[in-house]
Amino acid sequence: MGLISNGTTIFDNGAVSSSLTGGLVLVSSATASSSASIEFTLGSYNIYKFFYINVHPGTESKFQFNLSTDSGSNYNVTKTTTSWRTFFNEAGNDTGLSYADNDLSQGTGPQVLSASNSVGADNDQACCGHLTIYNAASTTFSKHFQAETQFSHLSDYAVRDFVAGYANTTSALTNIQFTFASGNIDAGKILMFGIN
Amino acid sequence: MPRFKLVDGVSVQLTAEEEAAIDAKEAAWNAGAFDRAIAEVRRKRDALIKETDYLALSDNTLSAEMTTYRQALRDITNGVDTVEKCNNITWPTKP
Repeated sequence: MGLISNGTTIFDNGAVSSSLTGGLVLVSSATASSSASIEFTLGSYNIYKFFYINVHPGTESKFQFNLSTDSGSNYNVTKTTTSWRTFFNEAGNDTGLSYADNDLSQGTGPQVLSASNSVGADNDQACCGHLTIYNAASTTFSKHFQAETQFSHLSDYAVRDFVAGYANTTSALTNIQFTFASGNIDAGKILMFGIN
Repeated sequence: MPRFKLVDGVSVQLTAEEEAAIDAKEAAWNAGAFDRAIAEVRRKRDALIKETDYLALSDNTLSAEMTTYRQALRDITNGVDTVEKCNNITWPTKP
């Protein structure tokens, strides 16, 4: 049985109409289990949106990502980025809004998402957030991205970090890799959506 | 113990080359432990000093207690040369 809206067939016999091109499509997902990294292959979607949920480090460390243009052989794409943060602690005596470290100026190393400091490794500590990459397959433009991350800081702070920048390459991005600066991703889920 | 990565949801054992790269990354991270810890101390110290900077303007005279407090903050990193010392700093109480 089909679903027709304003003369347009949206669903028919379980299939989604090809005329619906603006939807959010779950492309892939991964659930960490003491994983050294989590990697995804990028394709031709106009926008990739990643949600990272309760990503828990094996040891206190910074959560980060990097990009590849050679099918994941090397994660070393040149990036220029900026970041800022707000924070408050459980003790109630240290708060702030400031520019954060871990920006990159034509750096090829990973871009830290928990820009302020390490995510705590207590059993109840983790980080959550989302990262958007625009036009990853472009061979004309630099590839812009932005991320917002909330995490439990190792010293019991709530920290909200904002990171944005661009991959300064006109090669298509082929892969993305999430890691901690040290140790494994003990647990957590990352979802990759595509949008056209 | 071998390490594994998740590639498009599939668990893949790291190559020897990838293992070596991660070992190097771990060593660099561990070597930077004190730098990260003392940077956090300085960030907090600087924020606390800034909180009372307005009291040190030229048209105001600092109280002795506030002078002592601000000096204690400026001296907070004296002798702090290990991560453990960074984590166990006793911060002065604001007058």
